[in-house]
Amino acid sequence: MPLAVEARALSKTYTHSGKSTVALANVDLAIPTGRVYGLIGRNGAGKTTFVRIGATQLAPTSGTISVLGHDVMTETREVRTHIAAVPQESRPLYFLNVDELVYLYLTIRGMDPRDARRRTNAILDELGLASVRKSLVNHLSGGMRRRAMVAMVLASDAEVLFLDEPTTGLDPLARREVWAAIRRAIGDGRTVLLTTHYLDEAEALSSRLALLEGGQVRLEGSPAEIRDRVRQPYRIVVSGVLGRADLEPYGTVSSVEGGYLVFAKESPARELAQLALSKGAKVSLGPVTLEDIFLQVVGRAIDSDDAGEAEA
Amino acid sequence: MSERHRLRSLLRLAYMNGVVPMRTQPLYLLSVLASPLSFLFFVTIASGGVLLLYGIAGGMVLTVLSIGTSLQTDMSHYRSDLKFQDVIVASPVEAPIYVAGFALSELIYSIPGLAVFIVLWAINAPVTLMAGLTIVGVLFIVWGFSSALGFTLATYFADVRETFVFSSLVSLGLSVLPPVYYPITSIPATFRWLAYLSPTTYAAFLLQGAFGLKSVPLSDGLVDWGVLIAASVALLVIAGLKARWRDP
Repeated sequence: MPLAVEARALSKTYTHSGKSTVALANVDLAIPTGRVYGLIGRNGAGKTTFVRIGATQLAPTSGTISVLGHDVMTETREVRTHIAAVPQESRPLYFLNVDELVYLYLTIRGMDPRDARRRTNAILDELGLASVRKSLVNHLSGGMRRRAMVAMVLASDAEVLFLDEPTTGLDPLARREVWAAIRRAIGDGRTVLLTTHYLDEAEALSSRLALLEGGQVRLEGSPAEIRDRVRQPYRIVVSGVLGRADLEPYGTVSSVEGGYLVFAKESPARELAQLALSKGAKVSLGPVTLEDIFLQVVGRAIDSDDAGEAEA
Repeated sequence: MSERHRLRSLLRLAYMNGVVPMRTQPLYLLSVLASPLSFLFFVTIASGGVLLLYGIAGGMVLTVLSIGTSLQTDMSHYRSDLKFQDVIVASPVEAPIYVAGFALSELIYSIPGLAVFIVLWAINAPVTLMAGLTIVGVLFIVWGFSSALGFTLATYFADVRETFVFSSLVSLGLSVLPPVYYPITSIPATFRWLAYLSPTTYAAFLLQGAFGLKSVPLSDGLVDWGVLIAASVALLVIAGLKARWRDP
């Protein structure tokens, strides 16, 4: 079975006014079908560039990328029959109502009108948009508009969906409705390539993740695999009584508001927690979060442009 | 996509951008008429009514020419601000279908404006089948080249405000300076050759002939049609070659 998306040595350099900016540098990614694959990274890391190239909206400078086994540059027409995309910062056409937005998008893609009607009704119900179906999108909140955009592509029959920050601006409840719809989409065997700034979202939805920084893949794997690669897999937050000098023997210490955050291996983490409790300090112990790893990797990359595994 | 699906996509795009806005934004319909009627008013008043029919012919040309500038503005806005073009690029819809759908939508949107000029023509000039066919043919070709020009320019601007500058210049160069609203004899002979650089001059000649404002010998008519068609084909080819669907 072909991969949903496969990139090999994919590079993209933008040139404006004689100045070149490398957005992607020799990226290799293999994204399997039937799953949500998360792309995380800070602004300018190359996430949107990768998505735009895969979605046939942007030409790469070098390297190859294929969707379901079809090269996006030489078999573009074939690729486009299998994909749908919600671009970053996209907004719906303001003079349409929500129902028209979804229904017309589906029929413009070539879907049979009866099928399009059925799918439109279903997705509007699913994403909590049924009550505003006849409202002009211009009259909706920013979050509702974003949800309407997501509804369009989720209702399509595309097998590979490129969602570039689909939940930006949504409230927590709306985000979860979108998550549920995305999960249902992959339940139908489709693949979702998701970029997001919300690491909890990436972790909740993605079976695999890639962390991009400076146009390169710094970490790749399932959330569990990424955690397994962390040498200090526990985080302990200690506030009061204990000082930095007391904590440093147990692991890597950094200051946080009202106390310290310590990354440690399992045994020192337990010892530290017991010590803190015995001294009457407030303490919380848990596994490192994706955000911890993200900050460590990206922070180190910014400091030294040195790639590598997280050592939190 | 099969031919049937292509046609469906084209018609749905045209409905979406042409028919729906008439319902949700009816005031915009008046803006389609504003410039052509203003010029007609000015030319008619200034000439004491002598140039009324020239003004009607010019109004028809400008109304259809405005389709190109509207298309340019709409497509720039949809591409740069709303990212709607990117949504469509990542779908089975091909660029020519997208452009044709939007061009048709702009034509639909300008029908009420054109109807005003057709009524004015019917009231003020002899209505014949040949004149009617000429009007339809000329406006169809002007629609084709203005749409091709509009799409090509739209794909080159990152900011929709930049398109306003070009759409104004295009309007000026194709509808105000050429003898669209007045006879070419009003232009000093020294500068008359400049008028022949604009394809809209030939469109106006054909309409003025259809309105009975000038006699058009067969050979002149063939030249006018030939130039108009050649210019349209050239612009359509340029649009096909130069317009960007996937960003480089």
